[in-house]
Amino acid sequence: MGAYMSEKKYTKDHEWVSIENEIATIGISNHAQESLGDIVFIELPSVGNSVKAKDEICVVESVKAASDIYAPIDGEIIEVNNNLENDAAIINQDAENEGWIFKMKISDSNQYSELMSKDEYKQFLEQ
Amino acid sequence: MPFAGFNMPINYKTGIINEHKNVRNHSGIFDVSHMGQILIENNESYLHKLEKYIPLQLKKLTKNRSHYSFLLNKDGGVIDDLIISNIDIKDKSYLYIVYNASRKKEDEEIFISCSPNAEKIYEKNCLFAIQGPDSINVLKNIIDIPNNMNFFDILISKYDNNEIIVSRSGYTGEDGFELSIPNESAENLINLLLKNENTMLCGLGSRDSLRLEAGLSLYGHELNEKITPIEAGLSWALDKERLEDKNLNGNKVLSDQLKNKLSNKKIGLISTSKSMLRDGMTLFDNNNNEIGKITSGCFSPNLNKSIAIGYIISEFNTDNPIFCEIRKKLELVKINNLPFVKKNYKKNGSIYE
Repeated sequence: MGAYMSEKKYTKDHEWVSIENEIATIGISNHAQESLGDIVFIELPSVGNSVKAKDEICVVESVKAASDIYAPIDGEIIEVNNNLENDAAIINQDAENEGWIFKMKISDSNQYSELMSKDEYKQFLEQ
Repeated sequence: MPFAGFNMPINYKTGIINEHKNVRNHSGIFDVSHMGQILIENNESYLHKLEKYIPLQLKKLTKNRSHYSFLLNKDGGVIDDLIISNIDIKDKSYLYIVYNASRKKEDEEIFISCSPNAEKIYEKNCLFAIQGPDSINVLKNIIDIPNNMNFFDILISKYDNNEIIVSRSGYTGEDGFELSIPNESAENLINLLLKNENTMLCGLGSRDSLRLEAGLSLYGHELNEKITPIEAGLSWALDKERLEDKNLNGNKVLSDQLKNKLSNKKIGLISTSKSMLRDGMTLFDNNNNEIGKITSGCFSPNLNKSIAIGYIISEFNTDNPIFCEIRKKLELVKINNLPFVKKNYKKNGSIYE
């Protein structure tokens, strides 16, 4: 993780986002990973797609259920974590680092500022 | 997770896949106290009334044996599936029946109407299962298990000066035991069993994936009031002589079905991609015609793929490709004979084989 990596922010759909040079890295929160249980498959988004915040862009399948992953902000998908293709359980082991899912080139950094901080997300989970 | 009015764990600490593998390789303990357990006196008039619903010759049930059976409605549809055993407790002969938590209301209405003094022993007895190849070794340290006890044998044993019901059975496809034990002694016994380092508590999640790999039906999925045991591929569990008996609900429907072609057939399916097959998904032929539905689906830890059970129309030729609609896309699935994983019962003439 780079030295200029921003603070991690969270969405109400339990994704995390961090930003470095207008590139956002996105995954699901450790809390999401715990509630999904064993993750067996992830359908990764397509690189090159332009998406809007709240668009369903990929699916995580656990032994319990399929869960949609939403784009947290507007932008273009530029990279996906191909390691997850062979071993989606990486998300269970390290959801908020090695288990990152995709990277986006973002168009509006204000959308990022509006997401929850780690503390705000923690409070959100306790509600 | 709420399940049939109970708050039940889907899994414990280590997760569904780990629990599942532990049962296949060692042993696991399932608390199934939410299930119904009832004792009905072995009395001719009660049995006669029960035979209206249960397709077995209840008067001829072998002592100390269990049988997989059903309660049938007047169309031959399945009100519930259950395990019925003939046992003596304190020198009195009983039918001991274990039935689904989700069907307690319907089942008990029938049991009480046939036998007003039927005793709902789940009110004072826990029911738990120890399943897996190590079960016998873990259990026999604590409870006397005769060497010649086979799958679907049942007996009364003692623990903590209380009588407990021990059956060699379960719903995972593995060897194992179910124990009906007074509430006050249950925790103590479970803790003793858990002292074995290779046994662990398991939740509803692994119970479901284990039974699915073993190709076993689950009420509310493969079975319901609109499906007969024959349509569900379970005609082996019917006593064929009873199908000629007018006293049995749906006897005409069932005996006709045995002679004629059914409109649907039960099949096992394996995913060809990494996508998960799940209950309710629709199946298509290669011309986009709907041919059936999935009734249960899960990830199979043993096959490392998603597996499912479903029903398709009988006229469909299974040499042709089948597609499953997964998130609006059609994905190829392969037919697989049931069970997906070989059953591992200690057997010697069980009705279950």
